[in-house]
Amino acid sequence: MVTLTGCGKSSAVDQSAISAGQLLAEKGRGAVPGCVACHGAHGEGIEAAGYPRLAGLNSGYIEKQLKDLARELPPAGVVIESVARDYSKTPRLYSDLTVFSPGLRHDDIMSPIAKHLSETDIHNLAAYFASLSYTAKPVAADFQVLERGQDLALRGKPEYGLPACVSCHAPDGEGFGADFPPLAGQPVMYTVNQINKWQLGQRDNDNLGLMKAVSDQLTDADKLNVAAYYANRSLVVKGQ
Amino acid sequence: MKKLVFLFMVGALNIGHAAELPQTEVRVDTHEARASIPTSLTREKAIRQIPAISPGEYFVPPDVGDIPTSKYGDMVKLGRNIFIDTQHYAKRYVGNGLNCSNCHLQEGRKAYAAPLWAAYPMYPEFRNKTRDVVTFEARVQDCFRFSMNGIAPTLDSPEIKAITSYAHWLSTGAPFNKELPGRGFARLGKPRDPTPINGEKLYKESCASCHSLDGQGQKFTNRDGYMFPPLWGKDSFNHGAGMSSVKSCAQFSKANMPLGKGWTLTDMEAWDVCTYIWLQDRPWDPRFGWFFNIFAPPTGGN
Repeated sequence: MVTLTGCGKSSAVDQSAISAGQLLAEKGRGAVPGCVACHGAHGEGIEAAGYPRLAGLNSGYIEKQLKDLARELPPAGVVIESVARDYSKTPRLYSDLTVFSPGLRHDDIMSPIAKHLSETDIHNLAAYFASLSYTAKPVAADFQVLERGQDLALRGKPEYGLPACVSCHAPDGEGFGADFPPLAGQPVMYTVNQINKWQLGQRDNDNLGLMKAVSDQLTDADKLNVAAYYANRSLVVKGQ
Repeated sequence: MKKLVFLFMVGALNIGHAAELPQTEVRVDTHEARASIPTSLTREKAIRQIPAISPGEYFVPPDVGDIPTSKYGDMVKLGRNIFIDTQHYAKRYVGNGLNCSNCHLQEGRKAYAAPLWAAYPMYPEFRNKTRDVVTFEARVQDCFRFSMNGIAPTLDSPEIKAITSYAHWLSTGAPFNKELPGRGFARLGKPRDPTPINGEKLYKESCASCHSLDGQGQKFTNRDGYMFPPLWGKDSFNHGAGMSSVKSCAQFSKANMPLGKGWTLTDMEAWDVCTYIWLQDRPWDPRFGWFFNIFAPPTGGN
């Protein structure tokens, strides 16, 4: 309520959210370990272990991911028709029927932690990590790998209808809005793992299923090349 | 004989009953929990066929790294820069917020997004729009005038020369004066007359998250220009542009939109959503005089 009505107080509220988030991120609480243990003291992530950086990410994106990680996977035993019904024969009944994914993301480490976080915790953590500045440390990679990664990042595969990464993740891979996270400055292993998860069906929380469609077209070499290219980019992010 | 058949049937039923679970149940231990629920199996999408592209189906233009190191190569590079960053490299000829590559996707390489490699070898060509035979250069001029809502560069300007060089280089190895698969836009059927009511619903559902609800696209926060191009409004193409026609827009959207999920709209959905877009306000057609444009604006302006 305060954030909605108090126009003058909004920055103060943000400050309190940020400091509460910082406290939680550094100290942890009960079953929730401190975020700094894996995501680095300033949210910069751990390149070698593939733990993603959180510093300077869009707060809306962080909030959504934590909520999706906390969500239960659908119960086993759901039957999906393997033979599609001809819905066009009964347009009145089915024309307005659209199924949206509630946003599901599973991770062996993060999911149990996210389940212990309250809505306020999630908001505070997102505000804190979004407020952090970040300067990427480019990771060296093989020249040919970078060249192929760049080709995929800037042009995609037009002959197969695969769009370029830059067309949604912004020209330098710095990400855009709450739907399109940054690729630059993320560990290679993290990027590859996420694409693997889409391919295996362990992650389904992307806008319009765009990333699912893209992931399905990426080969193992594509994933490595493009992840190495973006880990190699330099990037400076100013906290919000 | 009858008795034998009866006995056989009873036996079969008994065996079947003992061996199988009822069809409606799925054993939990054989079913893995998955996060991806079939969001694509909606509406008529369940019976939709998304074509798989096989290698060699479309022409593959040369690699950017293979641009020759010569005066010609420099012109090609300038042309590529103009093409993907028109706002910067041809700023004085552009009257809106678009780049060439907003429609000619992936640097003019994407099949069914008016790829340059399929267009260049076809010119000079008769155009219905002008009822005349036009050269490639004159055609590029029209892009600036209508799609970019700007001023046409003269035929001897470096911008036209550079874009022509880029198209020439992209067409390296393409057959001359022969229609290639992937040329222009996709071909569509039209099962019924399109309705903007359905189009508005579709727009809000699948287009608005990038092009924004008011169709004005989304601007960068850390630099000039648009991340996602505006579809209508003052920073978009004008009423004389090809993309302003419902047909071209629908053909483009069918093969390319939402980005990365081409061919997932039905033909009718593409028509509907483009009819909704066509109804919105955008800059006037420069072929009409200012008087006509102000006092008799094109139908559909709001």
